[in-house]
Amino acid sequence: MKSWFDRFKSKGESEQAKLERIKAEILAGDADAPARKTSRRSFLARLGVGATLVGLAGQALAYLRALKPNVLYEEPQKFKVGTPDQFGEGGKFLEERRLFVFKERSTFYAVSAACTHLGCTVKMQKLNQPKKVKTRQREFEEQYEFHCPCHGSKYYGDGTNYAGPAPRPLDYFKLEVSPDDGQIIVDMAQVVDQNFRLTV
Amino acid sequence: MQAKRSIWEKAVWTWLPASAREAGDSVVRNFLLHWFPAKVSRESLSWGYSFWLGTVSAMLFLILTVTGTVLMFLYVPSVERAYLSVKDLEYAVSFGWFLRGLHRISAHLMVAVVFMHMVRVFLTAAYRNGTATNQNRPLNWIVGVALLLVTLFLSFTGYLLPWDQLAYWAITVGTNIAKAAPVAGEWMRFILLGGNTIEQNTLIRFYVLHCFFLPLVVLVLFSYHMWRVRKDGGLACVDKESLGQKKEEAVPIPSKTYSLLGITSGTTVHVKTSLVDEDKHTVRSSPNLTRRLLVVTLATLAVASILTLIAHAPLEEAANPAITPNPAKAPWYFLWLQELVTITTFSIGGFTINGALIGGIIVPGILVAAAIAWPYFDKSSVRAVGVWFAMERRRQNLVFLLVVLFILVLTVVGTFLRGPYWHFYWPWEHWPEMPKKF
Repeated sequence: MKSWFDRFKSKGESEQAKLERIKAEILAGDADAPARKTSRRSFLARLGVGATLVGLAGQALAYLRALKPNVLYEEPQKFKVGTPDQFGEGGKFLEERRLFVFKERSTFYAVSAACTHLGCTVKMQKLNQPKKVKTRQREFEEQYEFHCPCHGSKYYGDGTNYAGPAPRPLDYFKLEVSPDDGQIIVDMAQVVDQNFRLTV
Repeated sequence: MQAKRSIWEKAVWTWLPASAREAGDSVVRNFLLHWFPAKVSRESLSWGYSFWLGTVSAMLFLILTVTGTVLMFLYVPSVERAYLSVKDLEYAVSFGWFLRGLHRISAHLMVAVVFMHMVRVFLTAAYRNGTATNQNRPLNWIVGVALLLVTLFLSFTGYLLPWDQLAYWAITVGTNIAKAAPVAGEWMRFILLGGNTIEQNTLIRFYVLHCFFLPLVVLVLFSYHMWRVRKDGGLACVDKESLGQKKEEAVPIPSKTYSLLGITSGTTVHVKTSLVDEDKHTVRSSPNLTRRLLVVTLATLAVASILTLIAHAPLEEAANPAITPNPAKAPWYFLWLQELVTITTFSIGGFTINGALIGGIIVPGILVAAAIAWPYFDKSSVRAVGVWFAMERRRQNLVFLLVVLFILVLTVVGTFLRGPYWHFYWPWEHWPEMPKKF
């Protein structure tokens, strides 16, 4: 096996002298000597190239690490939406949060307005007459539906998809009551079951 | 040539050729090496002839391009957010302080090194043509002057981007110097600022100039600069070597001075030329030139990185047009101009000479014009080309060095010896307390 670094080794050594040396080594009973011996020159060359690569890799990693944000200036995922008495019966659309908050007597639930197909904002369609609907979960009479303007997905009043490309029902988010001022808190980072209700 | 190469060997053989044949092949086969000659003279590679200052400038430009590209992902060029995004770089982004620091240090080094490169070229008469055909070194010198000016302008446009007090007032001073130019001054400042005051328009203009337009100009000029060096037969010290050989009828052999271009400018293929004794004076570019290039590149990166750890990039308060810091200083490479502006403003009776015009426009204008024109007035002989401090160039070298010294002295005075109201203070004198406005 002739190593690539042997090029360094044969520097300044004539072919003749090299052959003589190898012959002497073979005669001395060490046939693998030229392959196994690392000269000082090749060791230092490897050390230099290695250190260079490590240094450059270190800088490259630092640059890449800088691109992963440590601080985000986004809106927090958890926010207050007001006290329960500020809500009337039925749904309230919070436009900048793309969120419907519904009140039914003393219970609350929040439905995402982001279509589960590709994320357009769905529109709440009031129906002319109540419509009887039967989903896998329940039977109910609905007054409104959610229709997506982008690709024609349709959802029943409880968020269950029934037409168009939408793959799954609209997300429901976790609600809690803030202990300090009694406001309702929506946590959009926590998706909950369709049956989730906050009773106030 | 080995019969079967591993992938590793295929990747590296051009950098470490095993034979003369491979060495010649490598500059043809490897794209990164294609702009190098197959053989290069020993003196071109020596540390003491050129100090590799041009290479160092180019490598600093490379560092600036890489760090600058990363910074572009993190900086927001808007008046409301520029300062805060730089503050985030400094305190919130991982290694952001290092990126910004390395970018700043490399920029300052580049201004200094490009200037030193120019001084070296003058003192070795490397802007003069030698004996080879189709040389045009004076043109390359002019391209170099343009590169120096673009380098200054690059650094200057980068100065504004942090949008802190230092940036805001340095640009105020700088652009007001430009305003003093006759006829076009007012118009130039208006176009540069995108209005009458330093505002969002100014920031976005400087940003685009700094990140796109000027680097592109540098890239184009640098490419031509390198191409010219090749066409002119390499560094000027090569011409010096060929002088020592007597002219002879050269048989058509492949040599450095024998080329298709050489044939077209001669009458026959048997060109009367002096051939550099290749065996005595030259070595193969691969790996001799490439190895030294690598060493220079790494040394440049290492020095710039270490300086970054030592000298922290300053960030002052956010830009406030209502409060001028006292003293308000331009970047250090313009302080000799600021100093000139100060000392050339004087009153004769009721008539005041405008220093900004003399010191800010006329003097630097004359200096640039002289630099561009000088190669065409220089009468020194071909014997001085590529020679450090040639005897016959004593007088012009002395004048040139005096101008350099004059610029350096004014820079030092402006940087270290000027305090509030641009009064003169020795380093051991304390500046008076200035009332702070709120």
